[in-house]
Amino acid sequence: MPNITGLSERVRAGERLSGDEALELYRQAPTALLGRLADAVRARKHPGGIVTYIIDRNVNYTNVCVAKCNFCAFYRPVGSPEGYVLGFDELFRKIDETIAVGGVQLLLQGGHNPDLPLTWYEDLFRAIKARYPAFKLHALSPPEVIHLSRLSQLPVPAVIDRLIAAGLDSIPGGGAEILVDRVRKLLHCYGKATADEWLDVMRHAHRAGLRTTATMMYGTVETDAERLEHLLRLRDLQDERGGFTAFITWSYQPANTELGGSEATGVDYLRTLALARIVLDNFDNLQASWVTQGGKVGQLSLAYGANDMGSVMIEENVVRAAGAAYCMDEVEIVRNIEDAGFAPKRRNMHYEILGDPIFRERDVPRMLELATARADGDTSVPDELMNYPARSRAAKQLRIIPN
Amino acid sequence: MTVSDTELTSLAASHDIISLGMLADDARRRRHGARTTFVRVANVALAGDTAQTPSPLAGEVRIVGTPASRAAAVERVAQVAAAIAGSRGVALSGFSLADLEELSAREGVTLRALLEELRAAGLELVAEAPFDRLHDARRSIEEVNIAGLALARLTIHQLPSPDPLPLLKAVADLQRAVAVIRAFAPLPRTVNPAVPTTGYEDVTRVALARVIVDNVASIQVDWSLYGPKLAQVALTVGADDVDGVSAEDDMTEGRRRAPLEEIRRNIRAANQEPVERNGRFDVVVR
Ligand code: SF4
Repeated sequence: MPNITGLSERVRAGERLSGDEALELYRQAPTALLGRLADAVRARKHPGGIVTYIIDRNVNYTNVCVAKCNFCAFYRPVGSPEGYVLGFDELFRKIDETIAVGGVQLLLQGGHNPDLPLTWYEDLFRAIKARYPAFKLHALSPPEVIHLSRLSQLPVPAVIDRLIAAGLDSIPGGGAEILVDRVRKLLHCYGKATADEWLDVMRHAHRAGLRTTATMMYGTVETDAERLEHLLRLRDLQDERGGFTAFITWSYQPANTELGGSEATGVDYLRTLALARIVLDNFDNLQASWVTQGGKVGQLSLAYGANDMGSVMIEENVVRAAGAAYCMDEVEIVRNIEDAGFAPKRRNMHYEILGDPIFRERDVPRMLELATARADGDTSVPDELMNYPARSRAAKQLRIIPN
Repeated sequence: MTVSDTELTSLAASHDIISLGMLADDARRRRHGARTTFVRVANVALAGDTAQTPSPLAGEVRIVGTPASRAAAVERVAQVAAAIAGSRGVALSGFSLADLEELSAREGVTLRALLEELRAAGLELVAEAPFDRLHDARRSIEEVNIAGLALARLTIHQLPSPDPLPLLKAVADLQRAVAVIRAFAPLPRTVNPAVPTTGYEDVTRVALARVIVDNVASIQVDWSLYGPKLAQVALTVGADDVDGVSAEDDMTEGRRRAPLEEIRRNIRAANQEPVERNGRFDVVVR
């Protein structure tokens, strides 16, 4: 493997690989070598041996969605009896619970619900900021921003400005899937955002001063070259704007989806993560996706380039709908970080260190299972929804005749 | 290649799981090349349905459960043996050797007599010998051999200490004495759910097992107990054999998610070559 040796030496020396070179390395290098190289990049970027995590809550404010991506097990169509929208009071209660365990932000994402106008989001953000001024809102992935732009007939930058004015702090990198339009068409997610549109939302957000994350969902219909193209497009935008704080990749979860098929393997995850660490040389942070890979492979990610254990998940709905339901509270995350030989530190969304594990400072309740957005069978409709105009016939009827 | 005691101690204490994994993978490839074997197992309960016919796709039919009495154990073996009598290539295994030690003591017969009775009823393999639960590991494993049975695998019931080295060295010593252990499964069968073992611990244990227990042919990982993700990673750090693959080829989730396809896909994705075997470690050709 003469070329692999040469490429490896260049990665160790901190040089950037071209797309073709990175693809060759990915295809030819044994898994252990990819891990070694990724670990060297991680150690160069994080020489102190710190592994971070955040205490936040992943809340999905609605599961009603018109996008109908074929890899998604979470959404319900408009008018479905299983569709829900969370009320402001339910969200406040979730924030109270999050703060009780040391949480600092909500990761707030949801379906493309045609019956939630931009004003609903603005009012929600303002209400949250009025009650919890220091609490952060990491909210609305690029396709949701595009959906709001279409719904309100405002350009994306204007939507972002209005959301920032209402309290938006940062944008999560969801909905990227694979940033190649051939793949997006096959996944029925081209309509919600093309690759260029997704990147443009991030470009506008960075221009507006927001920091964002970037993600990749692999293991559906893409080729390895397309996986790499995704990473290169992110690298280019990061060169241009520098606004990404972190990159997170996870494997497609096939259970209960229209697309079906099987999940990429654990070794594939570790190789993909390592490739990302090598290619994304201008990203500071890579998260481990223990939510999809389980705690064990999640922890092994720390040897394959990850320097962050992501979120202490209090609640999760999307991945669980597709069959994965791993749970780790702060105690468990910290145990895994220390067992791997790293120093655990709490962080915020900007990856600023907030301190040592909170459970070592004060008593916090253990969380041994994940909460859900709503209890099973809860079909209540929040009162405040009546204040907003609906677009779908089903929602119009409901808002005329409240239950 | 021999690794000194000092090197072993530093490997066990190190967090550099990639270097340790590479060392173990080298050892595994010297012995097995890229070949990874797997066995499809049909479990039948000791107290189960007597009319149940185990899946014809199984390479090993395994009687599971703790026998209440010698008579019940012998009777169940005879029933299952009769049910699979027509399936050539299928090995009938059953029981934990620790349970059989206890049963023989309780019923006042020698372990050898009990094992011979089970063999006469049709048993071929003792399914597992949990090293940490055996009263006299060396003697009991020798009795298995003398009774004309084989031992399917040496297992660890529960980790006696967080330090993997003493246990692994003891397993290597045991094999030096008995020389009949074909496969060793180094990950514990029972873990404390409040403090499960971590990925680093599991990888370290599998890799050290391959390096230290170099006199046992196969380091085994259980597919159903540990799940595809960790089991597949274990194959890259020294394990070469997969136990516990379901013999039910349920296609309801599609062909690629059926157990046979899934195991093959996972082994290939670990850059290895899948080979189906039966309980006797003979290659299965279908
Ligand atoms: S992935 Fe998001 S946009 Fe696509 S269907 Fe699911 S909820 Fe809707």
